[in-house]
Amino acid sequence: MSDRICKMEENKLIERSKQGDLDCFNQLVEMYQRQVYNLCLRMLGNTHDAEDVTQGAFISAYKGIGRFKEGNFRAWLFRIAANACRDQLRLLRRRPASSLDALPLDLELEDRRAPSPEEYAINQELGEHIRHALAGLPADQRMAVILRDIMELDYEEIAQATASSIGTVKSRISRGRARLRAHLKQYVELFP
Amino acid sequence: MWNFFPRDFVCIYREMFKRKRECKKLKGMLSPYIDEQLSPSEVKRVERHIEECAVCRRELESLRAVVSLLHRVPMVALPRSFTIAARAPRRRPVALGALRVATAVAVLLLAFVFTSDALHLFEAGRVEDRSTLQGYTATSTPAGGETFEAPDASDVQPETIDASESTWPVRSVELALIGVVVVLGGTTVILWQKRRRGEGLKRP
Repeated sequence: MSDRICKMEENKLIERSKQGDLDCFNQLVEMYQRQVYNLCLRMLGNTHDAEDVTQGAFISAYKGIGRFKEGNFRAWLFRIAANACRDQLRLLRRRPASSLDALPLDLELEDRRAPSPEEYAINQELGEHIRHALAGLPADQRMAVILRDIMELDYEEIAQATASSIGTVKSRISRGRARLRAHLKQYVELFP
Repeated sequence: MWNFFPRDFVCIYREMFKRKRECKKLKGMLSPYIDEQLSPSEVKRVERHIEECAVCRRELESLRAVVSLLHRVPMVALPRSFTIAARAPRRRPVALGALRVATAVAVLLLAFVFTSDALHLFEAGRVEDRSTLQGYTATSTPAGGETFEAPDASDVQPETIDASESTWPVRSVELALIGVVVVLGGTTVILWQKRRRGEGLKRP
């Protein structure tokens, strides 16, 4: 029920944004900025580029909101962010000095008690390995895995966000996870 | 015995080959199986195979562990808000327009001076003036008017033209105009690029 109200609210905001109401668009930004920023951060690996790309994605979305018809706004927004990330990655490939090195990736502990020093160290090390494993994936597979396993989108939304078919999404997630498993084999045993 | 052994061997081999092929096919289905993206018949097929095949069962378990690790990667807090600030009132375009006009005027003036200099227009005027002054002498007529007498051929010296003696400081004017054009043009380009960059929206 509350989801439906949120959806109605979101549709109203989108309609008003299409008429040029910046305040309404900013409400949409506030709803999705954390997810878009996290997607960009996990894709690009450094906060500076992630901030720039996130801001650029929202500006592009505002300029192009007239072209958004009906459907999943979040997927549409992620599609803009994904394209912006792809462009940025192309740029990063040309200047390899800024790599995927500065990504903070501390893992959440399952229980909320303060971690022991040993747990903290393992957590840090594992975070580091996940970061490297993610960075080693091809961009399409990384995007699919991040959207599915970190952002927790369903396959339909991922297909919309990456402008591909469900079959392609399945295959990218499957191959991405298989590669990650190969990278993280020893840690998988530590964290069953 | 001779009949039994090869047939048995072929059966075993066929069974192994079949299972291997099934493993290969099902490997691609394990990930969608975890995400519950398979049809009921595919789910049954995967479950039946996992019961029989220890390798695939282990593979499924490790895939599940990877997925659960990835689920534990937390969402990072925002470093700042990404809301878009309204555009500031436009003032720059007026200044930019004036600068563009000024640059255009300076360029035209520079082109005019250059062309005139190249065609020796300034010097031609000067030679004409000097020849009038040196070659002809004015005499008064009784009627109150003035007549001009042609000078003797020996009086007229061949005129050599020296640009440095020009009555107009052409070089200085040209250099000054080039400086003005460079400054105005540079400022115009910088303002225009800034305007293009910040076009539409201003970041907070």
